Amino acid sequence: MVEVEGSDSYLIRPNHQHKFKPTIVKEYIHEILRERLSGVLYDPESVPELTRSLAEAVKDKVKNAGFDKYKLIVQVIIGEQRGQGVKMSSKCLWDADTDNYAADVFMNESLFCLVAVFGSYYY
Amino acid sequence: MQSEKKLTKEDTWRPAELRRHIREKDSSERYSRHREDTDRTRREGESMERRHRDPDREKLKEKKLRHGDTGDRYAEQKKDRSYDRRSEKDRERRGEEERKKQVGDARNYRETILDKEYFREREKQKDRHKYKEKDREKVRERHSEDWERRREDREKERRREEREKEHRRERRRHDESEVRRDQTEKLHREPGDRQHRGTHDDRRRDKDIQEAKRRSEQSEDRDKKQEHRRNNEERERRHKERRHHDEKDERESKERREFKKTDDEVRNSHGNRKQTEREKQKERHKKEEEGAERRHKDRGHSEVAKEDLERDHGEKRSSRKSQSDKSLRHEKMEEETKDDVAVSKQQMMDGKNGGEHVEKAELAEEEYEEDFEDYEEDFEDLDESAEETEDEVHDGKEEQTAQPSKEIESIRRAMAEENERAGTAQSRRSIDREEEEHVSKGSERNQSKISRHGKFIDFVAAKQREVSQKAAAKQKKRGAELLHLIDLDFSLTCSLLDIPPVSEYEMYIKSFGNANTKQAYVQCNEDNTDRDVQTEEIEICEKWTQHPPEFSGACGDPNFSQEAQDKTRDELILDSQQLMSFLDSASQVMVVLLEEDQAERKSLRKLTTQTDSLSFSDGSLQLNTTLPFLSGRQISLVHFSQGQKHTMLSVHMPKVQASTPHLDSCSMVCVWNIWEPSRPQKILIYEAEIQCCCFSPGKSTLVFAGTQVGSVVLWDLRENSSNHYKLKIGEDEWTFRHPTFSTDAVMSSPGHASPVASVEVIPSFVAGGLRAEVPLLAFEEGLSFQLASLDESGMLNIWVVVELPKGNEAGSLTDLGLRPGGKVKLLHSSSLLTVQRPLLKVAGTARPFQTMLLKYHPTDSNQFFIGTNLGLVSHGTSHGLKTPPQFYGFQEVEERTVDINSIHFSPFRPNLFLVGCADGSIRLHTVNHEQPVAEWKNSTAGEPVISAQWAQTRPAIFSVLDAASNLHIWDMMKDDAQPLITKKMSTDGVTAMAVFGDSGHQNTYSGIALAHESGKIELHYFTPTLTVLNPTEEKKLESIMTEAF
Repeated sequence: MVEVEGSDSYLIRPNHQHKFKPTIVKEYIHEILRERLSGVLYDPESVPELTRSLAEAVKDKVKNAGFDKYKLIVQVIIGEQRGQGVKMSSKCLWDADTDNYAADVFMNESLFCLVAVFGSYYY
Repeated sequence: MQSEKKLTKEDTWRPAELRRHIREKDSSERYSRHREDTDRTRREGESMERRHRDPDREKLKEKKLRHGDTGDRYAEQKKDRSYDRRSEKDRERRGEEERKKQVGDARNYRETILDKEYFREREKQKDRHKYKEKDREKVRERHSEDWERRREDREKERRREEREKEHRRERRRHDESEVRRDQTEKLHREPGDRQHRGTHDDRRRDKDIQEAKRRSEQSEDRDKKQEHRRNNEERERRHKERRHHDEKDERESKERREFKKTDDEVRNSHGNRKQTEREKQKERHKKEEEGAERRHKDRGHSEVAKEDLERDHGEKRSSRKSQSDKSLRHEKMEEETKDDVAVSKQQMMDGKNGGEHVEKAELAEEEYEEDFEDYEEDFEDLDESAEETEDEVHDGKEEQTAQPSKEIESIRRAMAEENERAGTAQSRRSIDREEEEHVSKGSERNQSKISRHGKFIDFVAAKQREVSQKAAAKQKKRGAELLHLIDLDFSLTCSLLDIPPVSEYEMYIKSFGNANTKQAYVQCNEDNTDRDVQTEEIEICEKWTQHPPEFSGACGDPNFSQEAQDKTRDELILDSQQLMSFLDSASQVMVVLLEEDQAERKSLRKLTTQTDSLSFSDGSLQLNTTLPFLSGRQISLVHFSQGQKHTMLSVHMPKVQASTPHLDSCSMVCVWNIWEPSRPQKILIYEAEIQCCCFSPGKSTLVFAGTQVGSVVLWDLRENSSNHYKLKIGEDEWTFRHPTFSTDAVMSSPGHASPVASVEVIPSFVAGGLRAEVPLLAFEEGLSFQLASLDESGMLNIWVVVELPKGNEAGSLTDLGLRPGGKVKLLHSSSLLTVQRPLLKVAGTARPFQTMLLKYHPTDSNQFFIGTNLGLVSHGTSHGLKTPPQFYGFQEVEERTVDINSIHFSPFRPNLFLVGCADGSIRLHTVNHEQPVAEWKNSTAGEPVISAQWAQTRPAIFSVLDAASNLHIWDMMKDDAQPLITKKMSTDGVTAMAVFGDSGHQNTYSGIALAHESGKIELHYFTPTLTVLNPTEEKKLESIMTEAF
């Protein structure tokens, strides 16, 4: 609870500099994915751990980006590429003014990895 | 909302702050409580009792340690017993009702939790109502009506509230339950106070019987009960905290007392259970009555205290709330009594010890109902006084409760600790927190279970939970508020990933496509492109041509500039000319040598053979005139060049009978080199008959001729033979040269109107006695000289021979007579009529005057001599000055009309010339005298003299040819009256004669050329006696001349 004592004012909108910026986040994601996944082959045994660590890495990175009062949800999906078609989409019930998301896809010969970061403002 | 919010400011606080705040408040309250200490001293017992009660309740929660009921319940039971006696049936009926109710309860439970809770509440209220009524009954029995009235008022209030509440809740409830409740309510209320007690007792017993059946239900219910118990605990804790400090000692002593009592009770119950129970019940009833009295008394105090408290806190509360508080307080009191009942029941249970199922069932039922009451206790936080009075009522009863002191002791200790720890923090819990407690029930239940098992209550955890619950509630509220301000939308659908499926073919290619392939690069020669144009540039070349294409100049190429062309040609010509000249000279030399050799052998033979016939001849040479085009032509003239003594020309007349039309009608001039007799060097042709002919002075490069048609023509012998008409006759190719220049075109004004009698080159040097060498040389350098031509009418034309620097192949526009490519032309200089009138008058009578011959003085170009047909030689000058004598005539004065056929100047003495006349007389004249030096008549036997010529090597010898082909050779040294030799050419008549000879120092030769009628030309060399110069000859000749004058 951050509200000012005794007053009824709520901080409903984040400052601009603290707003969730998808482009920056996307860059982070991109960097991390490139670092961690380039040349990695799909291995069904190691992938769960990999997704978890990726998610942690992305979360830590985005947390340090200074998006105050944002709840972050990091979703990492790694799939094997075998020529199949994949379609993924998300639907959110949120305040479009403050909340946003950033997603980036990494693909190499054997796998694809999608990282989506949803930032939800915590009033 | 705003106002509420402000009121519940603490809601948004953090737990720590809140705690602090509460502590502060607590302390302040404590002060206020100190003020009220006097009042509270009276409540000591009550507080003691309460503490007693709490452990009891703890025990109740531990289901297995249940002892028999105490206090009220037994008292009630006692009463009930009396009722029982009255109507056993009634009881059964009520039992039935109870059962129904219970079944309904169970059913309700199985519905929704909310419903159950509401139902429970309702039940509780009912029970409460019942107990209230019971109390009221007691009170009524013992106290004034005032109190009762007040109670009734409160009850009414409460009921009204209940009704409101119920009305609200029941809206959502099933009709069934509604109906049932109504029924049960009626059942409970209608029988009135007296019945109530009975029903209760009956019910308990029935329950005992049905306990086994209900066990399962109870187990379920117990969970819920535990929640209530938990609430109770907390409430109690709060209460205890308040009194904790000042009442501790007293409490402990009381407790000790109570434990003793309970021990006794336990013992009793074990022994004769039912009896003791009844006794106890009686006792308890009494005590209860006493307690009620006391309570009544206390209530006065409590109300005062309550009012005080209310005053303290009233600022925050509405009046309505305070009212409800009051009513709640009353309820609380009832609950307290009920608690006591429950405790007694417990004790009873202990006495029965397992075998008593009925009792247990009753207990369970009691507990079940009790729970609802406990729940209500929360509303009584501020209502201490009321509670206290209630507690006081219980004091006595609790003494009877028999419980293991050890457990109680331990529990109490734990609670004390707990209280100390919690401090006063919780004392001022907000009152209207029903919702929260509902929420927190689940978690609390678990907690209570644990504490039950371990016999220890973790209050810290509970507190924390509560705090967290509060926080959650706050957040929830906050969220609710915020939700108004925030619009959530669901419109956004973000597509995170879309990988299209790879087609089969692509997959194949991806996995196998590169299997056996190799990538190679080939660079075609693309950068080396070639550009091609199909159409070729048209070559344009300009040419011109001229007809007739007789020589190379007939066509040309303007691309070559005229100059360049000429230059190259000049060079070519130059080179070829040099070569030609070389070849010419060389070949001539060679030919001459060869022919000499041949001719020598021949002539030697001939000479030997012909020595007889020609005495003067030292040898003869025949020119090859047996050429096809020359055959059949008469030679009219033979002439030697003065400059080049070996060059000779012969003029051949046109054929009488023309066989070849082109050539035969033409006159031909052959130029010979006497050393090369086999063929003529040049062949010149002209369409008309040529009357006279002469060479250019010096080098004989030009040939001039006068024709019968009056034209003067010239040939340039230097012209290339390729430019001339060529005719192949037999095996040899002959070049026939047309004239380079002809005066035919310029005949109109200055030309000759009659046949040209004679052409003569005017010597280029003026009279002065100089030799001919200088002008010849001058001519060689290209200087022009003059030509005189005389026609038969006496007209003398003087032409300037001009050599053009270069010839024009295309022909000249101005000089129409110039042949294309010709370089030499004649310019008409002047013309004069040489025959004077008087002369003509004199001679005119006999025959028309004719000028036959023209001769220039060899050393004086100004003087010319014209032979006439009057036997006279007229002497004229070109430039007006008349030099005597005008005529040269015979020795006799008489005039004879005799043609003069020949005039010839002596090569040794230029003033001396011979004149041959047609009458056969030969005269020797000097230039200065009209009279001849000598005159020989009849020397030719009357035959006309055709030609009389001086020999070239000896001055005293001359030869004469007459028309009868007699050749007379005179040697004046030996005989000056008659010729030395006379030779008659009888076999082949001689048409022309020319004397040749070179007086040069190295090779002196002399001879005579004879042209025969047959066309043969014979060259006879004079014998050395006729050739070699005699030094005395000139003196002789001198003497002759001087003798004559």
